[in-house]
Amino acid sequence: MTTGESAITPQTGGFVPKLNLGMFFGVRTVSILATVLFCVGIDFFSGPQFMSRYAAGLIFLCGTYVALSVSLNLINGITGQFSIGHFAFFQIGAYTAAGCSKAFYATMHLPTLEWLVLMAIAGSITAAIAGFVVGLPSLRLRGDYLAIVTLGFGEIIRIATENITYLGGSKGIDITPHYQSIALIMLLAVGCIALSRNLLKTAFGLGFLAVREDEVAAVAMGVNVTRIKVLAFIIGSAFAGAAGALYAHKYGFIIPDQFKMDGSFIVLTMVILGGTGSVTGSILAAIILTLLPELLRDLHNVSFGGLIATALMVLVATFGIKRVIDTHFDLLKMKWLSALGVLAACVIGEIIIKMLLDLFPHVRTHAPIDGAQLRMVIYAATLVIVMLLRPQGMFAHHEFSWTWVKKVLHSKTAVKS
Amino acid sequence: MKLNNCSRIQFLAGALFIGAIVAGCNPSTTTSTDTSSGNTSSGSASGTVKRPAMATDKPVVASGNTIKIGVVASISGDQKPWGEDSVNGAKLAVDEFNKAGGLNGKQVEMDVQDSQSSPQVAKSAADKAISDGVIGIVGEVSSGNTIEIANSCFEAAIPDVAVGATKTTLTDIGNNVFRVCYTDAFQGPVMANFAYTTLGLHKVAVMTDNKLPYSQGLSQDFETAFLKLGGTIVDEEKYESGASSFTTQLTNLQAKDPEGIFCSGYFTEVGPIVAAARAMGLSVPMFGGDGWDSPKILQSGGQAILKDCYFCNHYTNEDPSPAVQSFLAKWKTAYGGVPGTTMGALGYDAMAVTLQALKDGGKADSVSLRNALANISDFKGVSGDITLKGAHGNPPKRALVVQIGPMTAKGFQKPVKAYVPGPDGQVLDSKLQ
Amino acid sequence: MMLGATHLTMPFLASLDFATLPQQIINGLLSGSIYALIALGYTMVYGILKLINFAHGEVFMLGAYTALFVSYFFGFEPNSPYHATSVWYLVVMILASMTVSGLAGVIIEKVAYRPLRNQARIASLITAIGMSTLLQFGGQLFLPNSPPPNIDQRINPFSQQIKFNLVPHDSSLLAQLNVLKVTKSQADSAWKTRQKLETDTFSPSPEGVRIRSAAQEADRHFQDLSSRYQTSGVTVQMALGRIVTIIITIILMIGLTYLVLFTRQGRAMRAVSHDFDSASLMGVNVNSVVTFTFIIGSVLAGAAAMMDATLYQPGLQINTFFGLLPGVKAFVAAVLGGIGNIPGAVVGGLLMGVLESLVGWCGYTGWQDAAAFVVLIVVLLVRPAGILGSNEVEKV
Repeated sequence: MTTGESAITPQTGGFVPKLNLGMFFGVRTVSILATVLFCVGIDFFSGPQFMSRYAAGLIFLCGTYVALSVSLNLINGITGQFSIGHFAFFQIGAYTAAGCSKAFYATMHLPTLEWLVLMAIAGSITAAIAGFVVGLPSLRLRGDYLAIVTLGFGEIIRIATENITYLGGSKGIDITPHYQSIALIMLLAVGCIALSRNLLKTAFGLGFLAVREDEVAAVAMGVNVTRIKVLAFIIGSAFAGAAGALYAHKYGFIIPDQFKMDGSFIVLTMVILGGTGSVTGSILAAIILTLLPELLRDLHNVSFGGLIATALMVLVATFGIKRVIDTHFDLLKMKWLSALGVLAACVIGEIIIKMLLDLFPHVRTHAPIDGAQLRMVIYAATLVIVMLLRPQGMFAHHEFSWTWVKKVLHSKTAVKS
Repeated sequence: MKLNNCSRIQFLAGALFIGAIVAGCNPSTTTSTDTSSGNTSSGSASGTVKRPAMATDKPVVASGNTIKIGVVASISGDQKPWGEDSVNGAKLAVDEFNKAGGLNGKQVEMDVQDSQSSPQVAKSAADKAISDGVIGIVGEVSSGNTIEIANSCFEAAIPDVAVGATKTTLTDIGNNVFRVCYTDAFQGPVMANFAYTTLGLHKVAVMTDNKLPYSQGLSQDFETAFLKLGGTIVDEEKYESGASSFTTQLTNLQAKDPEGIFCSGYFTEVGPIVAAARAMGLSVPMFGGDGWDSPKILQSGGQAILKDCYFCNHYTNEDPSPAVQSFLAKWKTAYGGVPGTTMGALGYDAMAVTLQALKDGGKADSVSLRNALANISDFKGVSGDITLKGAHGNPPKRALVVQIGPMTAKGFQKPVKAYVPGPDGQVLDSKLQ
Repeated sequence: MMLGATHLTMPFLASLDFATLPQQIINGLLSGSIYALIALGYTMVYGILKLINFAHGEVFMLGAYTALFVSYFFGFEPNSPYHATSVWYLVVMILASMTVSGLAGVIIEKVAYRPLRNQARIASLITAIGMSTLLQFGGQLFLPNSPPPNIDQRINPFSQQIKFNLVPHDSSLLAQLNVLKVTKSQADSAWKTRQKLETDTFSPSPEGVRIRSAAQEADRHFQDLSSRYQTSGVTVQMALGRIVTIIITIILMIGLTYLVLFTRQGRAMRAVSHDFDSASLMGVNVNSVVTFTFIIGSVLAGAAAMMDATLYQPGLQINTFFGLLPGVKAFVAAVLGGIGNIPGAVVGGLLMGVLESLVGWCGYTGWQDAAAFVVLIVVLLVRPAGILGSNEVEKV
């Protein structure tokens, strides 16, 4: 939570060793208080007397995925290193916490929350070491090769945990303090967001952006590219590891199957949808993509004909809208109207095609499909559609900031008067 | 790119990291020991480990006009044949019970949740059923999935009646966990006896599915019993569920020249394993546990599985006893044909036992249900007599070893030998009847 | 540290069974041929577009499903009665697989890669990953997936095992073996005649038990000597189907080499892979060359899929996710051989197959899949150009 300064001006106030009790400290105190209130508040309001275990679990998952996507955004979006094996760090953090809890929790008599904090730190340390190891190839490899290497790393970790009996093998590990701490995961998420935002307001942090934009120019300007790349991996993986530790304790057991490639894919989709480089985008996309499949859980009977019709029409809609985007319109309004027109045509088309398909007995009597199976399909389709239509994602490089709010308010009042 | 000091240190760190991973494993010639901690323990003989007691202070009471009993089964995924059959069997029992008047007029309603053949989904399926207010859960078949369900049930303080989960340590989770089938501690020695005494095989190789707790436990039980009888295990090979190629393992195995091969996995992989083994020239008898039970094994096993293949099952449709025949008649009326796997009968038995306990307890709440379940004695089930009283949750049941043959109207399994557990846990021959 | 190394390696080496090594290497070469065919698709697309076509594994998967449905069409449905098989069924299946895979490859290229050609390569890579996942999970909704179907093994007319004797066996044991064989057949026939008198052949009377034990004892003696005979020499065996697979693979590769080296289209492909923009300036229709490359790569993958599911591993169970792992391993094979380099893909494929077999031979069967990724990381760190690749830009 920072003041409404533009992203480009570096801090100057804090370096002068004069106790300037003004806006600077005031805003920071308020921010920290607000954070603590927020975390404790959410934890309180998600207790069993207010909402079901299921809903509380959802909030926890949202927090986890926010932390994951913002930390991945640090590596992918801000530093421009293409890493798609993020779940490996998540898994390392989870397994570290599980191993430590299994070995030491019974003997050390610490209260649960303190133990969880300790475990999160332990998880983040091991994940950071792993991030350091993965940062090695990033120095020598181009974008697509680095992606494959990070993916491969993730799979190696998963296969290793499946085969090493000390780590539980494919049966996994049972974890004793089986406790879901929403306060801690929210604190982690907020911390991650704060770090990402504040990093970009320092001179050192701008080096990350420089590495993303043009490495050669960055080196020429004296930026230590090596250090920045590796540091990006370390920080991103540390947060993922801490999230993994808390996730492990929430579930009470972890098995290697929970950490398949699909997980990395989901986090990547969130970052892309939100916009690589935009922290706000990552947060929103993480929340949307976590909650959306839960709505599908109650859809038990998706008709087969409807499914085919929807798939076809989504395809047509995507290409229609892409055509609209590529066409040069004079007014932005025309563009929006055409896009809406395409969508409306597709909805009508879907209904018509569905009626036509239901005439076929083979389609009509096909077993209905459970909504839960559509989860990964929707993620994958979202990724492809976003890449085709708006590769910069929802928010491109924009961020939410108080200046923007002030600007909007001022422009509104200016129009009024 | 010159390798400066920083890069050298990073390279070394990376090499150490990878080396640590590689050094952490050992050539896997021994089956892994049961390392799961927490609520399960590694006591193998039933009755030796004290079961944690389920909380009785806050019983889940059935509210409204119906009594909800959860059914968690794999209606989708690789274990679909078992899931579908167990749900259908359970439904038969519920319909019968409701037609006979229910519990003092209150009808029983099944809350079916799909575990999608996966342990994590099984856990959330159980949690969903619990949040729907069920007073007990019937499920599941796969031991890995059932462990998660049993843990959830223990935390929620409701009983769990497993349909076909045979992993021995399952009932150690708590005194709310029961099953209507035999355990691997019985099944392993049964197959060891059959292999050693009946088939006369003294040197056997073992293929284990490293991803299934069931398979690892069963292989261990088999090997211990087989070694005790005087046989030798010439080779142990591992594979993973979902693998499609077994050439490497079978080549290693073939070199050791076993007289027989014990495959403790599920039918999904065993079919291709048998086909590949026979194609490679391994014509020795192959046998396994109740994980083989599904008509799908004929498809993937092809011609290979019709020759010299045996497995251990719970009952067979060809049993002329009146209990089995009347069950088959009921099934035919409701669904047509016969149940494809034994989980139809076991699903029926699991639900029937639960409903009997509901009637015995008289009250529609979880604590009285659990207590009544713990007192079930000589319940005449389709798959045999079920006694849960004093049995640590594991009823002594008869095991049938069957030989696989071509599919007929009654099924594809021909019973060849029967075994019952003795009072001291030994394996005794029994009449096939 | 050296002492520690020897302490670790010596018992490890002693536990290896060198007698099975030739068989495992042969197995590896045979499975490598499948990887090589798939790797060719990856390497050609990368050579031209500098794009890693993640969806190639799914094209492979679609080819296998096509072969499955064609086999159903010919009457080999599950639980169908006996049906004679013919080589022509296989010919139709492989042609159908190749067609459908080729079509799928072209459609994927037009839908997902062409619109993004002008943007950063990362964008195409992300879209490729998205397409791959979409096809896997989307296919799950439309194709039979769980429990996974398999192509009926009866459709494979080449099921015999061919044996090659590398090191001759101990012939002195042969005489003893024959004697034991006679004893065994006598005991077996005694038990067979006895079985007719028993009510329950699996729980016989005491006399029956005696005869059965005698038969089993004779069987065991014969087996023991037989295995000693086997281990005294080295014999490798391969299924005829696998030999047919490798023959077809060689034919396809010769066809591909001819295409690339001696035809106009091949020259155009080489030109485009050398320099995309200059080729278009020279009048090469770049779009059609790209489409053509995708077709060729996908056709090869389709052929590989059909052979894998029918001849190489009869009865292989296919589901929508089974293309992922062979796809990744084939990609690693392409990188290992030098990405963009056609002979490199073949060499890389064969090496990957052998490496996998060796990892399994050492007893680490669970780590076989990880071996591919480890190889990838090592190659990319040590020699990114691959074995046959050169450090300059020139490929193919």
